[in-house]
Amino acid sequence: MFAFGKADMSDKSQWPSQNPEVVVLYCQHGLCDEAKGSAWYQESKGVFVRAVMMPCSSKIEVSYILNILESGADAVEVVACPEKSCKYLVGSLRAEKRIEYIRGLLEKIGYAPERVGINRKLSQSPEQLINLARARADAVRPFGVNPMKKGE
Amino acid sequence: MIFAEWKPLDELIDKLKIHKKVLLVGCATCVAECAAGGEKEVETLAPLLRMALKKQGHCVEIITATLEKQCEWEFVEQLAQQATEVDAIMSIACGIGVQALAERFDPITVYPGVNTSALTIREEAGLWAARCAACGDCILGETFGYCPVARCAKSLLNGPCGGTRKDGKCEVNEEVDCIWNLIVERADERGRLESLSKIKKAKDWSNSGHGGPKRVIREDLRQ
Repeated sequence: MFAFGKADMSDKSQWPSQNPEVVVLYCQHGLCDEAKGSAWYQESKGVFVRAVMMPCSSKIEVSYILNILESGADAVEVVACPEKSCKYLVGSLRAEKRIEYIRGLLEKIGYAPERVGINRKLSQSPEQLINLARARADAVRPFGVNPMKKGE
Repeated sequence: MIFAEWKPLDELIDKLKIHKKVLLVGCATCVAECAAGGEKEVETLAPLLRMALKKQGHCVEIITATLEKQCEWEFVEQLAQQATEVDAIMSIACGIGVQALAERFDPITVYPGVNTSALTIREEAGLWAARCAACGDCILGETFGYCPVARCAKSLLNGPCGGTRKDGKCEVNEEVDCIWNLIVERADERGRLESLSKIKKAKDWSNSGHGGPKRVIREDLRQ
């Protein structure tokens, strides 16, 4: 079951999880209709997922992802359309380049670049989105909790 | 535009870690054009610095602002209130902006967050190339719109060095066009090759930064 509707990213009481918290930013065109909703969250085996729909993955700015990590999320997974499938032609390519840039920045400040990733997929179901988030959670598990959570 | 790039992040962190509250200030003009110091870059750098400082165990609050221009006193004045609330300022504008803030908000320490290095044009998305060296003695009218001072590795004024590669690239940097090759080609296209035979004298650098700190007065504009 999914809690559809507006999810308040600043409300930490909605993040009661012992599992890595992964924010999934997904392109509206990469999802099946069942999965579409402006934002939803779900605790599943091994991961707490908060998903936010974007009009296109290219709408994602570098600062958005850094703000999400600064606010305490353990990882961010971007789900973008495959090459040549992007409705805006080069949108998902731009998103991919920004993700690479962010990973480089994270490495420079001593954060694991694995905390941010991108997958190029189409017509994902909610379960498939959660699986992508779970994979991202598994990738960051060795690096522990986001240092921004410590001492809160 | 005036071109700048972020200083290494560990250098910025090293400067900020001793402070309690810092104001990070951007500029919406040249440094925004070169994606180093505009509002977008302020909102990228701020969380990055906060995360880095916290990871190292430093408790530093960073607030942000972006001015339209940091080289105009009227805009600098907009920071007057915020400047009283911090113990340091970091500016990601060019050196002009950093100094303007340092002068207006003395004795607050003002750090540069970028290195200002060139006058460039954005050739295409993500690619900036030097175009002007601010030499103070412009000869672009004689070199068909190509500047050999800024764009020749040796700043030659009277033709190529003889090391131009077969593909027209510079001997010193194979990724850069030999500017004298471009000058000659354009002169030839316009049927004015003979104009390049006129020898240019050694450059007078006195009107550039090499002539000492510049100070220019226009009486017609003074109040």
